[in-house]
Amino acid sequence: MPLLVLTVLHRRGPLHGYAITSHIQKLSDALRVEEGSLYPSLHRMEEAGWIKARTITTEHNRRARAYEITAAGRRQLGIEEARWRSITDAVNYVLKHA
Amino acid sequence: MSWLSRIANVFRSSGVDRALDEEMTFHIESRIADLVAGGMTRDAAEAMARRQFGNRLRLREESRGIKVIPWLEDLVRDVHLGARMLRKNALVTTAAVVSLSLALGACVAAFSLVEALILRPLPVHQPERLIYLTFPSTNPDAPEDDVFSDPAFVRLRDAGRGQVDLFAMGYPNKPRVTFDVASGDREPVRAQFVSGDAFERLGVAPAAGRLLTMQDDQHPGAHPVAVLSHAFWMQRFGGDPGIVGRWLVLHDRKEGKEDRQFQIIGVTEPRFSGVEPGHATDVWMPYAMQDPYAFGNGGYSTIRVMGRMREGARLEQVQSVLQVAFANFRREYAQRSVDPNGPPERVAPFINTTLYVRSAATGPSPLRARFQRPLWIVTAIAALVLLIAGSNIANLFLARTAAREREMSLRLSLGAGRGRLIQQVLTESALVAGGACLIGLVFAAFAASTVVGMLTSADDPVLLDLRVDWPLVAVISGTTLLITALFGLAPALRASSVEPMTTLKAGGGRASARAGAARPFLAIQVAFSLIVLFVGGLMVRSFVKLSSVNPGFATSDVLLVSWEAVQPMEWNQQRAALLQVLDRLRDVPGVAAVSAAEFNVLGRPFRSTFPVPGAARETIEATIAPVTPGFFETMKIPLLAGRTFVRGDLDTERPRVVVVNESFAKQSFGHEAAVGRWLEGPFEPAPRAPHEVVGVVADARYDLRKPPAPTIYNLIPLQRLGTLQVRVAGDARTITYRLREEVRAATPLFRVTSVTSQTAMVNRTLVRERLLALLSGFFALVGLVLTAVGVYGVLSYAVVQRTREIGIRVALGARALGAVRSVLADTAGTTVIGAACGLAGGLYMSRFVEMLLFEVAARDVWSLALPLGTLLLAAFVAAVVPAWRAARVDPVIALRNE
Repeated sequence: MPLLVLTVLHRRGPLHGYAITSHIQKLSDALRVEEGSLYPSLHRMEEAGWIKARTITTEHNRRARAYEITAAGRRQLGIEEARWRSITDAVNYVLKHA
Repeated sequence: MSWLSRIANVFRSSGVDRALDEEMTFHIESRIADLVAGGMTRDAAEAMARRQFGNRLRLREESRGIKVIPWLEDLVRDVHLGARMLRKNALVTTAAVVSLSLALGACVAAFSLVEALILRPLPVHQPERLIYLTFPSTNPDAPEDDVFSDPAFVRLRDAGRGQVDLFAMGYPNKPRVTFDVASGDREPVRAQFVSGDAFERLGVAPAAGRLLTMQDDQHPGAHPVAVLSHAFWMQRFGGDPGIVGRWLVLHDRKEGKEDRQFQIIGVTEPRFSGVEPGHATDVWMPYAMQDPYAFGNGGYSTIRVMGRMREGARLEQVQSVLQVAFANFRREYAQRSVDPNGPPERVAPFINTTLYVRSAATGPSPLRARFQRPLWIVTAIAALVLLIAGSNIANLFLARTAAREREMSLRLSLGAGRGRLIQQVLTESALVAGGACLIGLVFAAFAASTVVGMLTSADDPVLLDLRVDWPLVAVISGTTLLITALFGLAPALRASSVEPMTTLKAGGGRASARAGAARPFLAIQVAFSLIVLFVGGLMVRSFVKLSSVNPGFATSDVLLVSWEAVQPMEWNQQRAALLQVLDRLRDVPGVAAVSAAEFNVLGRPFRSTFPVPGAARETIEATIAPVTPGFFETMKIPLLAGRTFVRGDLDTERPRVVVVNESFAKQSFGHEAAVGRWLEGPFEPAPRAPHEVVGVVADARYDLRKPPAPTIYNLIPLQRLGTLQVRVAGDARTITYRLREEVRAATPLFRVTSVTSQTAMVNRTLVRERLLALLSGFFALVGLVLTAVGVYGVLSYAVVQRTREIGIRVALGARALGAVRSVLADTAGTTVIGAACGLAGGLYMSRFVEMLLFEVAARDVWSLALPLGTLLLAAFVAAVVPAWRAARVDPVIALRNE
């Protein structure tokens, strides 16, 4: 989950929680999960200092919390990507040569 | 976000909740809007959005757990709730906090005094290896004596080498010193002659210049150097480093001595201000510079012997080595100096006197010797009152938790944990304890310095460093924790053990069990309160007895004037000046009578044993009090036979005369007339000449605690000054000012140094008893009131709990009196058990207080009956209102309320 969220925020800039969900769903139907579980995850990342929140006003003139990736978050994204790649590489290797 | 923000979020937790809600609502509503835009009906869209989102409440709690610290949040909520509950019962809470803070403050104050005077080690290097020497005293007032003569010290020091390095610390005296020769101002300082190696042995470093060394202590009279204490340096010279190298002039107290100059060579480090707690030393000078008369003089004891034990030396070894040297010294001294024809039964104990090696880790202190026991007693009493106050709080909380039984049951049945309930009740008691702790600290600071103030007088200031240091902080926080745990836990456990079913069903079904919970606390209160009352009663009665002792002289309207000679002078000159002053003062308006005496009554007079020709006993020990004519008139000591001194008696050509007191006359001559007898005694200035007894006066006490001693009054040898006594007829305050002027006008040879009143002197001699009576009496009262409140609380609560039962009984025809009896019986039994324990405790305590009592027996009927009666009376009074309420229970109302 952090990998996905961080990637989206990294590529698309500040987004609120619903926008993050919509983005992920738009890109892949396979990754559909219980939508609400995004929020504890967001708050955990905020606590860790990877993302920071600020209040914005949407086009429908509503207040929302938009999240933005921080420098620490970008560092973490690198770590998560590398880890993800090493896992998938390993799995791919096994699938290919088993 | 960080810990800080998580803690901060605790205090705005409702804000956190709102923000979380808002965020999730936004998500769901956005989803609904999108679904509706996609062609779904509004209802279907809402249902779908919620389903896709998941369990909103659970998710919110999860986020909350990330954003705040849950246990801290609970705590803050408990504090809020507790504060609200306490505010609701403002009066009860105030009473609880005030009583607890009073007791806590008293405990802290007493302990800070104990710490400063008794426990705190000297601020020197390895204080635990310091020792000082004492031996059993011949003076019954002080159990141990610690002054030695020069030859005794030298002998002991040489004998101890190898095991202990002994050094001399002179008994501090208060000479006058001139620092600024131009102004000629004489200031009193506390000065001490010390061995050259004293500072090195103690491990004290200089803050400026250098300290004394053995080079400064070689030849008697040859090393005029002085060291100042850091505190004195700061206070008198503002820490001026230029003080090193300057000279001071020492004016010896004894008249006829030359002034001497000393060069200041250094200042001690800040933490060191002498070895005697309570009394700071200002100036140190080398041992070699003390009174030359002291050297080699075995009869002139002015020094304290201290020492540092060598590494590996044991106290017993040191003692046995020094004991041998001490006995040898005394044997030789006795052979040379003591009357060879003296009775052998007095010589043997003199030689065989035990030498004690005492630890000087906390420094030798006469102040401590005098006040150690009273301080511990006051500390113990304060601790007992603290326990009484704590029990009161426990009762308060028990009653309150009982009242909240329904609330507790409801919360338990809704799934709250026992731990949470306990935490909540504990928080409340911690709030009370914490508040009391803060107030108590303020009170303690005030109380401790007041007590020190009571010990202090103008010419003998007591300085105790009552700083807040670690032991004290540990005691305070420890006590607070203990109180919270001890007296908060029982109610807390009770509160959490409610069974929802029974409580919710029956209202007050477990009434008797509840009253039982308060019972041990009530018994504790009664027992401790009785002990405190017992001790307090003893102290107060003892003090009243002591203050009502007839001293045999008039204490009111007498001023005591201390004075000194401005310069050394001849006898005749001094005598003429003294008479001039007496004559001049006599004529001042408002002065009724004037005299001079070498010792004040209540001072420390000179005692001597001498033969009385023709007496019932061969020898008699008597106090010898040199006075001038007019003394008996000034002090209003009544004349019983013969005459008092007249001015003509001062004429050296006339026959020498003395006046004796009644006790002396009775002990020496029985019923025969004393007037006309002749006495030979150490009456200066003619010790061997026969003196005629011309009068007998009534007994006057030189020590209020003892029966009047046989006393002989002789005429003051005019080379000594003593004190002036002035009986005033008018306002003493205006006269005080006039006296200085008049003395200055009468002669330039004397000056007044201080004026005090005989009343003040009486008060000063009673300071220990007054302090004890005041403090223990006060605490006895506080304990009594608290216990009465406790009885009232427990009973009122029992009545409330049993209203329904009483109502039923009365409705069924029982008499109201029976209802009252059933309520009282329970508490009465508890009170009796408590009282029995209290009496036992009091009797146990009595052995520690007995020696401080004056003409009051700790174990007589009155000592026990008085506090017991007072306590039972207080309990009875406290029981009246609840009992009356029980008797007035109206069955109709009581049953309707159900």
